[in-house]
Amino acid sequence: MKSQKTRSAINTYLKETGGWVASQLEACTRCGICAEACHFYQALSNPEYAPIWKLEPLRRVYEQRFTVAGKLKLALGLEKKLTDSDLEHWSKIVYEACTVCNKCAHVCPMGIQLGPLIHEVRAGMAAAGVVPADLAEATEKQKTIGSPLGLSDEMWRERIDWITDEWEVEIPVDKAGAESLLVFTSIEIMKFPDNLAAVARILNRAGENWTVSSTGREVVNFGYFEADEELTRLFLYRVFKAAEELGVRKIIISECGHAYEAFRWEAPNMMKVPKGVEIVHISEYIHHLWKTGRIKLKEGAFDGETITFHDSCKIQRRGGIIKQPRELLGVLAPKSFREMTPNREQSMCCGGGGGVISIKEADSNRYAVFEMKLEQLREVQAGAVCMVCSNCRLQFVDSLAHFNFPVKVHGLAELVSRALV
Amino acid sequence: MNWTEIMNFSRGLLLHVSMIIFVAGMSYRLVRVLLLGWQRDRATNKGSKLKGVIVNYLKGLLVLPFIPWVRRTFRHNELTFIAGGLFHLSLFVVLAFGTAHIMVWKSLWGFGWKSLPTPVLAFFSSVGIISMIVLLINRLTHPVLKLLTRLPVWINWLVVFLPMITGFIMARHLWFRYEVIFSLHLISVSLLLIWIPLGRISHFLFYFFSKTIHGAQAGKRAVTP
Repeated sequence: MKSQKTRSAINTYLKETGGWVASQLEACTRCGICAEACHFYQALSNPEYAPIWKLEPLRRVYEQRFTVAGKLKLALGLEKKLTDSDLEHWSKIVYEACTVCNKCAHVCPMGIQLGPLIHEVRAGMAAAGVVPADLAEATEKQKTIGSPLGLSDEMWRERIDWITDEWEVEIPVDKAGAESLLVFTSIEIMKFPDNLAAVARILNRAGENWTVSSTGREVVNFGYFEADEELTRLFLYRVFKAAEELGVRKIIISECGHAYEAFRWEAPNMMKVPKGVEIVHISEYIHHLWKTGRIKLKEGAFDGETITFHDSCKIQRRGGIIKQPRELLGVLAPKSFREMTPNREQSMCCGGGGGVISIKEADSNRYAVFEMKLEQLREVQAGAVCMVCSNCRLQFVDSLAHFNFPVKVHGLAELVSRALV
Repeated sequence: MNWTEIMNFSRGLLLHVSMIIFVAGMSYRLVRVLLLGWQRDRATNKGSKLKGVIVNYLKGLLVLPFIPWVRRTFRHNELTFIAGGLFHLSLFVVLAFGTAHIMVWKSLWGFGWKSLPTPVLAFFSSVGIISMIVLLINRLTHPVLKLLTRLPVWINWLVVFLPMITGFIMARHLWFRYEVIFSLHLISVSLLLIWIPLGRISHFLFYFFSKTIHGAQAGKRAVTP
């Protein structure tokens, strides 16, 4: 007997399986090369962390329903139907040992989009309610309170006022007639307020007509981490609704990778999005402001100790914002900027993305992965590292402290704001 | 039944039936996947999808199988990648330019082309067989492959290896009488053709889906695939 849980997961897999999913599942040759790309497999040597193995629940459901081979395997007892314990087992693998960074797709000889397919596996888990407790709790907080960190409306207001005072920077709230809406993360407002102040300072200096919104105030999407489609849509909708009410032409996503992915690439395929509203990531927008002469930067402001750049999977490998931060760093630290290896599309994920950092049980996994990042930092003798994603930044700050490794961590906006002339 | 009769059966009825099963089976697989439906991607492009697709195919066919290091990821398993690349290259060369194979193509399509010199073919068929053995050893020993490899994957290996080894022996005139080895070669080819629609050797078809999807995804997002 199938339980309700398993049935929900199976129904989700069947619903999600169109030609796009099926053709890619069919293309796999079981070569196992994807394991080469997975930082979790590399760091922990658990064969179950091979990206293709993470697709097993989806593959089994697809094959058993839609293919002759799958039905044969079932009839001959070579394979079993999906069960509750399978879901529990793979839930740990897909949520705690995968950041959906999609590096595996870049090494797969067939080019299978393993990241997005693992997202589909997560969708089944979310439908079945088999999600790590910490992640589910944060998602629930975002649903009910409006922020995964439990930041209420009043606290949010107080925090904005505090940043305004502390950094002496103007942050327009709910400004009617604004051109752009800046949406940021609870992580930034709570843990990296300097970054938020920096973004505000840059936008003000550029003469941007911008605002933040008290209703569309959270850019992070824990529904998207979980792969719960309905919640993903709800959290996107809150921001889109605010954008429509304010009548803005542009939504600026602050330093958050998954949010950029959800707004820029996923939202148009999931829901009705406001017409004529452009989605930009803050790092590409800062680059645009600099390129068009709206802000000026002091050349070599950060020359001195070696500074390197960490590529975030959703913003660089999946977002294409690769040249822009490098051009900016080329101005800020032309002599001291050094690339880690590998970098750009081939870069290794920090280990905290995709919701992993919010799951306490996954701590040992992400620390193990981070040791590989430490090696890369060591190779370039980095004194500082810069990035454009607060989730990465949180992982860096936490893990560097964990390993007691003396490297400074900066958001790109923060560096740019300090170099404004 | 003597060997001459077996030979006539295997190059006649058996081969033809296997070809029909192969074509029908693969057509079914293709149609089944196509009919599952395709959603239009509504996100606006940042870069050119077409460029991404072209770069992805060129890289995937010409560069990565032979120089995997450009990926800067392969620290432990370059051999699998290279053995895989060499296996496919050898297979293509021998199938397309082997003297006897050209005669098969000619009988199927009505035209043929010049074959490669025998030593070159001998070289490539040896490389193909060695690559297959390397891939087998890897599959037997690598922890991830041990986990991924179930019965159908072992069958894949076997049904590909048998035509290769029998073809090699036949072309070199080793050990067996012509009728015997020719029959064994054609029986193993038939086995392969019947098995392909059931197993993952069918990836030669779905390769074009996943490879195009990856190129388009990368191109759309303005990254190098």
